[in-house]
Amino acid sequence: MKKITCLLIVSFAFAMVFSTSAFSARKTIIKIGINAPLTGDIPKVGEGSKFAAMMWLEDIEKAGGLEIGGKKYDVELVIEDNESKAESAVKANTKMITQDDVIAIVGPQSSSQAVPAGEVANKYKTVMISPWSTNPNTTLDRPYVFRGCFLDPFQGPVVSNFISDEFGLTKAAVLYDVAADYQKGLAEEFKKAWEKRHGAGSIVAYESFTTKDTDFSSQLTKIIKSGAEVLFAPQYYNEVPLVVQQAKELGWKGPIVGSDSWGSTETVQLCGEACYGLYFSTHYAAAGATGATKIFIDRYTDTYGYVPDDVAALTWDALRLAEQAIKDAGKITGRIEKDRQAVRDALAKIKNFAGITGNMTFTEEGDPIKCAVIVKINDKGEYEFFKSICP
Amino acid sequence: MESLTELFTYILQNLINALQRGSFYAVISIGYSMVYGVLMLFNFAHGDIFMVGTYIGFAIATLFIALFAGFLPGPLIFVATVIVTMFLASWIGVFVEVAGYRPLRSAPRASAAITGLMIGIIFETGILIIVGAQRLKFPALMETVSYNVGGVYFTNVKIMIIVISLLLMLALHGFIQKSKWGMAMRAMSYDFLAVPLMGVSINIIAPLTFAVGAGLASVAGILYGQAYPILDPYMGVLLGWKAFVAAILGGRGSIKGAALAGYLLGFIEIFVATIFPSTLRDLIAYSIIILILTYKPRGFFGMEHSTKLRL
Amino acid sequence: MGTIKKFKNYFSNIPMLGWLLGVFTAVLIEYYWGYDYISYYLGLPKIPALFGALFMLKDPYMIPGVMGYNLIVYIIPILLIAKITTFFTNPTAFILEKMPLWLSVIIHLICFYGILHLWAGINDYRALVVKLTMISIILTISINVINGYQGEFSCSHPGFMAIGAYISSVLTLLFFVDDKIFGAALLPSYLGPWIFPLTLIAGGFAASFGSLIVAIPSFRTRGDYLAIISLAFMFIIKSAIENIQFIGGARGMGGQPDYATLPVIFIWTMLCIWIIHNFVTSIMGKALNAVRDDEAASESMTVKTRKTKMTAFMFGAFWAGIAGGLFAHVLSYINPGTFSLTRLAEILAMVYFGGLNSIVGSIVGAVSISVLGEALRPLELYKWIIIPLILIFVMIFRPYGLISFKEINAKRLLRSKNKKEEGV
Repeated sequence: MKKITCLLIVSFAFAMVFSTSAFSARKTIIKIGINAPLTGDIPKVGEGSKFAAMMWLEDIEKAGGLEIGGKKYDVELVIEDNESKAESAVKANTKMITQDDVIAIVGPQSSSQAVPAGEVANKYKTVMISPWSTNPNTTLDRPYVFRGCFLDPFQGPVVSNFISDEFGLTKAAVLYDVAADYQKGLAEEFKKAWEKRHGAGSIVAYESFTTKDTDFSSQLTKIIKSGAEVLFAPQYYNEVPLVVQQAKELGWKGPIVGSDSWGSTETVQLCGEACYGLYFSTHYAAAGATGATKIFIDRYTDTYGYVPDDVAALTWDALRLAEQAIKDAGKITGRIEKDRQAVRDALAKIKNFAGITGNMTFTEEGDPIKCAVIVKINDKGEYEFFKSICP
Repeated sequence: MESLTELFTYILQNLINALQRGSFYAVISIGYSMVYGVLMLFNFAHGDIFMVGTYIGFAIATLFIALFAGFLPGPLIFVATVIVTMFLASWIGVFVEVAGYRPLRSAPRASAAITGLMIGIIFETGILIIVGAQRLKFPALMETVSYNVGGVYFTNVKIMIIVISLLLMLALHGFIQKSKWGMAMRAMSYDFLAVPLMGVSINIIAPLTFAVGAGLASVAGILYGQAYPILDPYMGVLLGWKAFVAAILGGRGSIKGAALAGYLLGFIEIFVATIFPSTLRDLIAYSIIILILTYKPRGFFGMEHSTKLRL
Repeated sequence: MGTIKKFKNYFSNIPMLGWLLGVFTAVLIEYYWGYDYISYYLGLPKIPALFGALFMLKDPYMIPGVMGYNLIVYIIPILLIAKITTFFTNPTAFILEKMPLWLSVIIHLICFYGILHLWAGINDYRALVVKLTMISIILTISINVINGYQGEFSCSHPGFMAIGAYISSVLTLLFFVDDKIFGAALLPSYLGPWIFPLTLIAGGFAASFGSLIVAIPSFRTRGDYLAIISLAFMFIIKSAIENIQFIGGARGMGGQPDYATLPVIFIWTMLCIWIIHNFVTSIMGKALNAVRDDEAASESMTVKTRKTKMTAFMFGAFWAGIAGGLFAHVLSYINPGTFSLTRLAEILAMVYFGGLNSIVGSIVGAVSISVLGEALRPLELYKWIIIPLILIFVMIFRPYGLISFKEINAKRLLRSKNKKEEGV
């Protein structure tokens, strides 16, 4: 018995002596959560968000912390992996809010995770800014959830009008992933907009596949047989090359138009020359950017070795928005619920925030009104600005 | 008359699509079926062995193209890639057998299946850690040439895939039927316990089975890379489960059955999506499989065997 | 070795009640002093949710602090209080022993729940982990009925779970919530928590009804065909839900009311353990084992094999449906993708890790895999190397799982440990 007591006491003493920050007062650290898909189906998206966040943190650390009401606070990022799964995104959000005491959350990126995760953030009254989620349901009736990009009901008509005006075509086909929230929502919006303009039956083929499919030949054969003149393919960057390549092999001659999910740099790397000359709608165009956007792009390219995709730019903007809101909140009390509320109120009030992806003012729902950019993949494989469409 | 020709070309086009898809299922499920036949195991790592094989193929292909692209003809590079990849990938199969399944020889087979599942997860994560988040593009080992014969489109790659798969299966059939090792494997699938008594060590036959399966899967991986050139660490998961379905659908231990079931799976998937709305594809395709099994509960070529399981 | 044995011997006279009391004290200490004093002086940012695993893996400098915390808050008080109070816990346990077993078990369970409630209440994240873990317990035990007691290899559990989750969600949304899909609530919302169990049961019955699709064709013959029929069934359910637009399709369904509170889930879990325990120890359960071990022999011993297998299968599916319903109401969001291959791998891992043919094993498996999954979160990718490795090693050294073919005896567990009264 004595031995055990001794052991306990010694180990306890050890613990006390060696805990580096023993007896130090708790500092108020401002924590910001990042909920990103680091593994799973779209890891590049997660990587872009993580890198943008690390760049942002570097800036803050260089400045010696975040200055709020004349006092500097240390900032910490809590990066959680949502495995590109809805359930994990919900768990990650709950963990960050209740365990890590984050003041605001940036992410999740795709709507499939942002919609359920937003529910949690709203329940715990914590600000969540989803940089990349374009599905309306993410922010609908959720005062604490904001987003950094335009919505599908806007993007659908934009693409549809672009095709009609630019190519003068009237018969379109759509290929989408039935299991992906984002693709399905956007496909529906596109269909609606197209049929409004060209009448019922002008979508001649409306074909779907399931996530992780790699063979689209039967759908594409059907599309080609239907006599469609243009194909709208709102796929993620890992599927785009397969769709484009297989369509060409099966004899598709018309244009293929994509959406903001094409925006990753990997689209062109993987697709190669097959994708040159195609168009897609997105949030910003990297090639030919100016001002703050260019500074961001250059810095990111220097640090990480590739041109940042739209997700990185949007994440950067979302973090800057959060930073602005925290500053605007005036002071940090250390009482997390109160601070979160203050940040939420400040964020809703931000007007004409100059982001690198455009100016942002939030609507009642927490959605910014932003312009969409149509980008052409040029012969060098760069994303070239083609035209900008504003609401 | 016009519409009839059109319908005919349409069906022919889908037939080619289905043959390509079915070739992959067939070649991969053969590897599954061999392990299942010889050892009575569900090799849940097989999909991921296929994935690792594809990554090895990617590395070898990239290396060879960089080294020899100038002075060796394309087909030779292709053949060299296939041979080297097959050799390397078969060691992956041996590794899985020795590390994951051998210690569990006397354990319930479901436990071994779980070990396989876990080895698969380790492979996925390992590749993700080594390669990083980006997707890789499999280099084209031959120039794609498109043909258009009366409205039916196909490429030389498609033809190559279909032909090589058939050749592989024929070669395997020969190996199983004619060679000494093949005979040992067949014997093992008849009686798991008696064969070791005849002087054929299971510790040689089992790794060999895995090696052959993994080698086949890696060739399928190279072909897959030509048809769908995007590699990602989770690419084997769904294919693996589908191969599992095909292997059992074919009947225990039947290479022929597995190949047939693989092609059938490809045909069902392509034609269901063609005839019905494509959103209902999985629903209808798997219902058909359940129906088939209801009426052919032993699969296509399943032999009568003791159904007593080791739990 | 001797020290450990002495140590074990020294604490061997503590009854379950004593341990509970010890844990209760520990939780009280954490509740009152954990945040303001203990974790503060140890340099921890806050109370460690899962015994500090998250802190330790993120920042190795925290290890001593966390160790100290666990020592002060948990280990010392538990051991000390448990030992000191033996003078009255043992007699109390002796009194309880004289009572009927069910009463004694219920009293213990109530004490246990009180402690759990207090412990989980300290931190919402902890509460979520506890809830999901208990749901995993239900799932694992229910799949053990099929894969363990019945000896089949069924892959359709995620499908059953999906059916239960969707049915119960549709019912609660229809009756008690004003939402976009079903319009105004049909019943006043204060009735919700009371009728919630009925919606769960409806989900469970729907799941067991769905299981017939697997059961009828696959039980024509014995063997591995069940594996693929059940796998196909899982894909069919997923695809079907994706195609039903009014429940959200692939988009999923959200906004389920927060009815699945900790006590509700706890009661369901205990019910599940109790009922399944009774089932597998009943004549039916024995028949099930007989069918597994030798179908022909049991048939000749007048076991109705077909009926037995069907019943067990539907029974397992029923509980998977219940678990699905609870799951939906914990996360307040479900989509078809949640009930797919990843979930299947997780469920299979839990049941085979814990051990076949054993309820205790299933509980151990479910708890360890769920808690490991959460505790190793900071390792990010490496988590998916470590967990599979652990599982492989367990499989190699204990091929039937950690605890298999073993049941605990509640009476033995709860009895008084006073050696004098036992006369040993």
